[in-house]
Amino acid sequence: MSSLVASAPGIYLREALAEIGKSARLPQFLIPTIALPPAFYGLFALGMGGGSVEIAMRLLATYGVFAAMGPALFGFGASVAGERESGELELKRLSPMPAGAHVTAKLVATIVFSVLAFGIIYVLAASAGVRLSQEQWVLLAGVHAASVIPFALIGLSIGYRLGQKAAIAVANVAFLGMAVLGGLWMPITLLPSFIQSAAWALPSYHLGALALMVVGEGNMANAWLHAGPLALITIAAGLLAWTGQERHAA
Amino acid sequence: MPRSTAAVIARLEGVAKSYSGRAVLRGFDLGLEVGAVVALLGPNGAGKSTVAGLITGRLAADAGEVRLFDRDPRDPEARARMGVMLQAAGLPDTLTVAEVVDLHAGYYRRRLKTKDILAQAGLAELAQRRCDRLSGGEKRRVHFALAIAGSPDFLVLDEPTTGFDAEARRSLWRLVREKADEGAAVLLATHYMDEADALADRIVVVAGGRIIADDTPAAIKAKVAGTMIRIRTRMTLAALKVLPAVARVELRGADATLLTTHARATLEALFSADPSLVDVEVTSASLEDALADIISSTGQEAA
Repeated sequence: MSSLVASAPGIYLREALAEIGKSARLPQFLIPTIALPPAFYGLFALGMGGGSVEIAMRLLATYGVFAAMGPALFGFGASVAGERESGELELKRLSPMPAGAHVTAKLVATIVFSVLAFGIIYVLAASAGVRLSQEQWVLLAGVHAASVIPFALIGLSIGYRLGQKAAIAVANVAFLGMAVLGGLWMPITLLPSFIQSAAWALPSYHLGALALMVVGEGNMANAWLHAGPLALITIAAGLLAWTGQERHAA
Repeated sequence: MPRSTAAVIARLEGVAKSYSGRAVLRGFDLGLEVGAVVALLGPNGAGKSTVAGLITGRLAADAGEVRLFDRDPRDPEARARMGVMLQAAGLPDTLTVAEVVDLHAGYYRRRLKTKDILAQAGLAELAQRRCDRLSGGEKRRVHFALAIAGSPDFLVLDEPTTGFDAEARRSLWRLVREKADEGAAVLLATHYMDEADALADRIVVVAGGRIIADDTPAAIKAKVAGTMIRIRTRMTLAALKVLPAVARVELRGADATLLTTHARATLEALFSADPSLVDVEVTSASLEDALADIISSTGQEAA
């Protein structure tokens, strides 16, 4: 018997486009996630940096991670919680939609919005005189795009466990907390030492450090010092997201 | 009784389900056949939504077997032939009605055209309206549209008209009726007697996790007497019970309610037994009365 379920690639594509469309019409999503990181970059790196290309370059690396964080935390955390609470997710689960299509669509939408957010920062940085080799730009974009994954898993863990209001509150705390304590706004060496050691548990810190290596701060040979803990954190977040999803499905 | 499996759409056999130790269904058997509109009727908490949840694969049975189109209910191929309308289901706020319907229809190989779905669900005028600007009733109609989007062989409607006004209910009943006339089987979980009466070919009454009646609406009504007599009387319960044609008696103080199969015979005997009889009210028994009778009599058997 031929299948009665529509072709999977078509479903994945339409689901992804719908996710992008949903968020693109939501000012409360666009402003904090797309507009805010470039605006902060303009203000702190370019405005208050006093025209220092060195500061502009350093903050280009870390603000790119910041820009990848918002769409992932809010797109997954708040939106999954809302869809779960309203029963939208239930209706999709009872349809023949392939199980992975929903999360994949959200991941695609998150990457699109993140690229948009850090893309604007790249343009601002370049216009302020930051110069990188082609290879560096590609590597930097790779680090920033990959940042979406751990943050999306953290967002999913939140979204599968909390109600919408609580999820938004927790996503906000995580968003600002990981930005400040992970050294994305200013180097963590400016923070008290006990906070500095806590940064090792934050994916934002390791991603920021890797991005800084790409723009020439720190030795690339030590990349594994950050990539290792980052991989562990990502696996832990993945397990949290998976158990949350199972809990929801039960 | 074993039935032919060829014409069976969904089947529950010996199903048990409990939530945190509380048994909701025990040894539950139910078969749904092609083209039939079956109402699952019972008070809140009777297990109706649990049955709907098991058939749609939303819930897993603790024991027994659940099959949908002779497959596991979680199999996408089984789900592709089913349309579901849940009790509470939101919609994506920022998408339009047409976008939501088109997205959902896209899961099904046998999908209807978006334009046709909207027309059938009475939503043509609202196609470009954003979902966050719909009324509650309009949202329910969108959910109905999603349920019919894949031209299903089987519709599962869980309390579809809760919170509706009379006109909205009748309009949704008409839509369900049209789908049934086209040949779709329907499982309707409801606690509204009139809804079951208006739509169903077969009513399955569920109470306390068991089926206590399973018949046509007419037969369920005929299972109990046709007429209700309400009186104020000095007669005792025992004296009322032995009156001719009386099927059931309730006595609270001086207020008695009698269910009778032959109103004239009962009334004549009443007047001769109690000449002081006042406040006589005679009405025909509704499906609701019939069910109350069935539920209370099975309750007595169990007790």
